[in-house]
Amino acid sequence: MPPNMAPHPTDHKVYIVDDDASVRDALSWLLRTRRLLSDTFDSAEAFLAEPCWHAPPREACCLLLDVRMPGMSGLTLFERLQALPWARLIPVIFLSGHADVATAVDAVKRGAFDFCEKPFSDNALVDRVEQALATSRLQVQQMAEQHTLQQRLTQLTERERDVMQLVIAGLPNKLVADQLAISVRTVEVHRSRVFEKMGVKSAVELVNMIRNA
Amino acid sequence: MPAADLKPPFGTDPGHLGPAGGPSDSGTDHATWRRRALWVALLLLLLSLLGTAMVLARRFQENQVLQQLELEASNMVSDIRTGLNRNVQTLQSLGYRERSPGEWEGPALEVLEQNREMTRLEWRDPQLRLLTWRNSPFHGRDQSDRRSERIQDIVAICAQARRTSAPAYSPSNFWPQEDGRGQEEMEMCLPKISHGEVMGYLVVSYSLPGLLSELLDSNAARGLGVSLTEVDGTRLAMSGARPGGQMMVAEHLLELPGHVMMLRLDSPRNHPGLTPLGVTGLVSGMSALIVLVVVMLGWDMRLRQQAERELAEALAFRKAMENSLVTGLRARDMQGNITYVNPAFCQMVGLEAGQLIGTNAPAPYWPPEMVGEYQRRQAIRLAGQTLPREGFESVFMRSDGTHFPVLIIEAPLINAQGVQSGWMSAILDLTEQRRVEALSRASQERLQASARLASVGEMASLLSHELNQPLSAIASYATGTLNLLAQAEDPCDATLAQDMALAMKRIGEQAERAGRVIKSVGDFVRRRGPSHELERKAVSPHALLQAVLPLISLQAQRDGIRVVVDIAPHCPDALCDGTMVEQVLLNLARNGMQAMPEEVPPAASGLRVLTLAVHALPPQSGRPWLAFSVTDHGLGMADEVAAQLFTPFFTTKAEGMGLGLSLCRTVIEQHGGALTHEAAHPRGTLFRFTLPAVAAAGTPLPTASD
Repeated sequence: MPPNMAPHPTDHKVYIVDDDASVRDALSWLLRTRRLLSDTFDSAEAFLAEPCWHAPPREACCLLLDVRMPGMSGLTLFERLQALPWARLIPVIFLSGHADVATAVDAVKRGAFDFCEKPFSDNALVDRVEQALATSRLQVQQMAEQHTLQQRLTQLTERERDVMQLVIAGLPNKLVADQLAISVRTVEVHRSRVFEKMGVKSAVELVNMIRNA
Repeated sequence: MPAADLKPPFGTDPGHLGPAGGPSDSGTDHATWRRRALWVALLLLLLSLLGTAMVLARRFQENQVLQQLELEASNMVSDIRTGLNRNVQTLQSLGYRERSPGEWEGPALEVLEQNREMTRLEWRDPQLRLLTWRNSPFHGRDQSDRRSERIQDIVAICAQARRTSAPAYSPSNFWPQEDGRGQEEMEMCLPKISHGEVMGYLVVSYSLPGLLSELLDSNAARGLGVSLTEVDGTRLAMSGARPGGQMMVAEHLLELPGHVMMLRLDSPRNHPGLTPLGVTGLVSGMSALIVLVVVMLGWDMRLRQQAERELAEALAFRKAMENSLVTGLRARDMQGNITYVNPAFCQMVGLEAGQLIGTNAPAPYWPPEMVGEYQRRQAIRLAGQTLPREGFESVFMRSDGTHFPVLIIEAPLINAQGVQSGWMSAILDLTEQRRVEALSRASQERLQASARLASVGEMASLLSHELNQPLSAIASYATGTLNLLAQAEDPCDATLAQDMALAMKRIGEQAERAGRVIKSVGDFVRRRGPSHELERKAVSPHALLQAVLPLISLQAQRDGIRVVVDIAPHCPDALCDGTMVEQVLLNLARNGMQAMPEEVPPAASGLRVLTLAVHALPPQSGRPWLAFSVTDHGLGMADEVAAQLFTPFFTTKAEGMGLGLSLCRTVIEQHGGALTHEAAHPRGTLFRFTLPAVAAAGTPLPTASD
């Protein structure tokens, strides 16, 4: 394998679900030429074993899904995927023959990322895959940040959380002390603890962090 | 029965089904009442006649008995008179020979002993002085002291006897006897005359009971009461039994010189009445016979009446049956004249019965252009050829000139004597049947045409899919190779790399071109075929099933399969291309029926059933769905068959192409639904597909409340 075909570090995953082995191989190979890693599945049922069904994926991902397959159809798989709470982390691009175009269009209307009509002649599909991955990555990051924020918030004591609320509201230390009926000195201690635990250096940073989440 | 007799007795008005109900009821009531009155009168007359005859006969017989009794009485009277005359002669001889009383007593006693009716003999001189006397030894009594009481009677009768020179009798007198009883006695005086001079008198006392017992023939008097009475009826003496109850009486005068008495015979009256012999018996017997004959006649009349009533009912029944038939009936005689038509036939050809009956060939309902052929046919029939039992088809014409096809079934009309008197034809109007057949044929052709087109479209679709896969792979490899070439940092030969990139680009372009060709073929087929741009309309599940049921039923009937349709209530309309979904239903139903060949399962199991069911599903991705299922109870599917079920060109049937189920799946998936299958209970296979349904605004879906 030429060195330029070495894939990126594993911060992403493309799932390919198609019953036709040659199509799976070709797609997988094409993606690798663009330094994209992929996993292939020969049926919708096989894909059901993926861990992404049980927990939100940690990395950006994208699903290339054939509409027509024996057994569970691509559409059914898509419906089930849509039912997951973290469905937006896994954008779906349908691969369709033109007989299935209507179905694919319908699927896009119901939340699929896109559809590509077979045969795919150029890099358009790979471009769309990269866009999907970018979207997914954004979502994954957002989720991760949210997760971090959530974890940090849980570390705060009850008093520290009260102090933080008032700091975010923009109150100076003195007013905070008045409102909570504690000394200004105590407020300062709490405040520095909150900054420490939330991993910020200033009140402005804290406000931005909370707002973004 | 000649064919003409089939004509209804009360016209051919179809509304007139027999004698009117109301008046005939009261009429029969009246007739029954009159008939009964006549019967009663006849019986009364007969009984009175018989009574009269019997009374007359009895009276006649009684008269005969009475006459006999009277004859008996006169015989008895003459017997008594003869006996008395004989006694007179005996006494006369006694009176002449003896001269002295001493000499007289001996013969007198002898006379008394021989004639027990005498109780006493006296000999008196002409001055009526008693010379001597003898009492009868049988009556044993001394009456001398009482002679003086009767002397006046004796004087009177002796005077009469002397006058007439003949014996004279006195009225009777009662002589009490010593034992307390007594009897009537009468005296007779016989003068003794010698040379015209009275020499003395012989006075004899007669016992009246003795007269009856001694002088009468005891045999003749048996069973009869014989008595002697005064003329005024006072009884003096009696002999024989006198039975009680009603008696018949015969009386005869017993005239004696000087005294008249009456002989009376009593006979029991019931004696002749008790014997129903003779005239009475004859009359009674004949009367009984007459009554019997009358009763039998009445019975016979009852039977006849019942038969008549049954006949009338049978006639009315037959009439109603003929009028209710939708099959036309027509009878013709041996010459081909129409003798009878029923209302259905009249309605069929649009002519009145009167216009048809009696007409011969050419019939008014024959189309003019076919008269020649029909006349030939009739000639064959008249020549005695037999006609096919299953009938033949023909064309008739209505009065308005329109033609219509008919099926004619003819049978010879055999009369009661077993001789053919004509033909009876049943005529079926085939118009409606033909229309249904044409309709069914048209719809079948339409379905087959669309099925063919759908198959072509499906084939194109499958081909394009199958070709698209490798083409996709080719294009992917080409693109990937181009990507690699572009990324190559150190191409060993720039020219070679350029040429390769060009070739790779060309490969990709050609693959794309091939894809376009396939796409255009597919588009072409789809544009031509019914699957071009699915026409999604709201169609009720009922309408979908109704469209295919006639075709399914045809095959089901042939295979002895029962088709059950089960549509859940309140099903919303399906949003689909009706024609395509009908194809799917038809395909699945046919597969189901083919899974149930003859005797699999056996008819006796009751499982030869194909079920078509529809029910609503809970809303999914914001819209309601319908589930259609087709269930057979056939052999079921082997696992390997089930695995390849939807593979194109896979088939288990000898003549199948293997596109049916694949096509069905395409159609259903184009609608956004899914086609699945599972094993049915207790055997067989269930195919189920889903279709989007129309959300009925405002009305909650039935599944929403479930």
